[in-house]
Amino acid sequence: MLLNRRALLKVSIAGGVAVGLTGCSLLPRKASVQPDGYAGAVGFPDGSFGVSAFNRNGRIVWQAPVDSRCHSGCNRPHQQETLFFERRPGWSFYVFDSTTGARKHHISAEPGEHFVGHGVFSTDGRRLYVTASRYDQGAGIIAVYDAEKGYRRTKTFDLAGIGPHELTLHPDGETLVIGLGGILTHPDYDRMKLNLDTMDPALVLMNRHSGKIVGRFRPPHHQQSARHVSVSGDGRVYVAYQHQGPLYETPPLLARLEEGTLREYRFDEDTRTALANYISSVVAHPENDLVAAASPIGGTAIIFRGKTGELVSRAHIADCAGIQTLAGGDFLVSSGRGKLIRLGAGKPARELADLSVHWDHHLV
Amino acid sequence: MQGITRLLCTSILTLTSPLAWASDANIQARQQWYEGIATGYQSLTTEAGELAESARDYCQNPAEGSREHVEAAWLNAFLAWQKVRLVDFGPVENNNLSWQFQFWPDPKNLIARKAAYLIGNDEPITPSVINQSGVAVQGFPMIEYLLFDQEFNAGETSLPVARTCELLTNVAGHLKSNSDALMAGWQAFRPHYLETEQYFDTTIRAGMATLEILEERRLAQPMGLRGSNKRNPYIADAWRSGKSLQTVAATVDGLNRYFLPGLEISLEAKGASDLADRIRKQFNEVQQNFPGAHLPLATALKEEDQFRALQSLYVDISQLTTLVNDQAAVALGVVRGFNSSDGD
Repeated sequence: MLLNRRALLKVSIAGGVAVGLTGCSLLPRKASVQPDGYAGAVGFPDGSFGVSAFNRNGRIVWQAPVDSRCHSGCNRPHQQETLFFERRPGWSFYVFDSTTGARKHHISAEPGEHFVGHGVFSTDGRRLYVTASRYDQGAGIIAVYDAEKGYRRTKTFDLAGIGPHELTLHPDGETLVIGLGGILTHPDYDRMKLNLDTMDPALVLMNRHSGKIVGRFRPPHHQQSARHVSVSGDGRVYVAYQHQGPLYETPPLLARLEEGTLREYRFDEDTRTALANYISSVVAHPENDLVAAASPIGGTAIIFRGKTGELVSRAHIADCAGIQTLAGGDFLVSSGRGKLIRLGAGKPARELADLSVHWDHHLV
Repeated sequence: MQGITRLLCTSILTLTSPLAWASDANIQARQQWYEGIATGYQSLTTEAGELAESARDYCQNPAEGSREHVEAAWLNAFLAWQKVRLVDFGPVENNNLSWQFQFWPDPKNLIARKAAYLIGNDEPITPSVINQSGVAVQGFPMIEYLLFDQEFNAGETSLPVARTCELLTNVAGHLKSNSDALMAGWQAFRPHYLETEQYFDTTIRAGMATLEILEERRLAQPMGLRGSNKRNPYIADAWRSGKSLQTVAATVDGLNRYFLPGLEISLEAKGASDLADRIRKQFNEVQQNFPGAHLPLATALKEEDQFRALQSLYVDISQLTTLVNDQAAVALGVVRGFNSSDGD
């Protein structure tokens, strides 16, 4: 989709602009690596793009320009490195110094391949696993890089399927959990979806050393594009779909892996409508049984209990997309309108910050 | 006591009536849009039928004047498409129909490459071949290439060579069949569109996206107002036929006929009649640039006098986009956000 340049022009980001915290002096700590810093892909007023990092005081720590719009990123464990991946079709990813924003590496996709916006590290921070596509064949792959050797490409694992998107590492440290959206695209045809009738989406589990696929779980409906994934601290696997059928159908969009099948959550009709067949992020909290999901199209973020599917919070947040887990059990939701909203079980959503940026899909 | 009760009732009414109005207006707006788009699709079906027929006639008997007839029929059908191009939801999403009608942009010149491949091949060009050849083959730009591309028309395979005629008639037939499918799909879509409230926002967003593409990709970028600062007519649509600006006029006309009436209903229900008036007037301002601005874009980009006319059109469209995409969208609470229009 075309970037809304008009909206961007209205944004006034200047170097070192403060986040503008509202009603509190510090942002909460994250419940993940590098707990005191946040980063996200952003759009700048002149239509260019970057990555922006801010600290818990709400101060922009650094902003780094990038060649084209980025999507998501990841922090390298045990190292001060933050990576961001270009939005699909992504031709490169960037490695920044987490403290200064200095660009340490800029790694291009191999010929005939493009990235799709996501990557994850092994727990020791050495191997980087990146979802990618060999676009002429329409083959989804996991590209493996050695971070200690300047992000040299070492391996390629075939997913035997089309359109991988988000991936994460299971707490067992060995299994990659991959959302295979099933949608065929080709960079020559913009973002056109070429196979909606024959999509074959799946949640894929892969051994990160051998590339062996150890599990493939298909949603009940072939147009449930299984794009985003998350795993709780105790290893429960969640997947979020983007339904490719018409808006007047409102099938389940969230599921957990249980006893070898994808068990879908069935929310009430209002909630299904509010999610507008599109989930941009699903995140399981490492400290409890809560799971959060955001829909920018529906302008809705929800929290539900992983075990029971009980909906415990639903908030209207325009253009919300990114989710981070906070120490203590709540979630932080970011929006394309610059908001940071704290969302927890059984309490009202609270606006923590009104930023002068458009945060992209994922908050790192 | 009675006075207080009446006062309370009045307050409640005051609070609830705008909501009730808005909801009614939402339904009325969708009814208006539904009918308007149906009219536009019907016109596309009719014009696509004329195109298929004239292509067939020309290829059977390439008599004097028959090629001009095909060219005129192509333009009429393409302009009919431009008028409904704003619709990016509903049955036009099925099988990528929208892309099939118009594959654009085409930075790798796939249209020329696909045409060369199909014409140079021995396999008969049948409806099934067109069906399997992808969107670069299946729509108006392919026919435009066959009819208007200078290099192609100077070559040995130019129309009415039999093989090229096969391609022309089959693509025209495919367009006709897709137009019919779109019309039938729209009719079947009626209850869903009218009963599903979210299609209100969807339709407003569709109008906003159309204006943004018009301003940015169909004008600002070819005019060199972005990025490289180089004027480039070849990144606009319909450059081969020199009809880029005529298609812009048709898209504006489509927005005026099929999108504006529902928008006005919604704005008036929100008490924003002034804004509705300003938008209506701005549509008139834009349309007053035509037919003066119907010249080929390549000419308009070369000649400074003509370029000034183009700038004037650009400014008017830019102001219209501001009124609709900023002011009306805010008044109606419709967000077309950084993330919500991303698709990942």
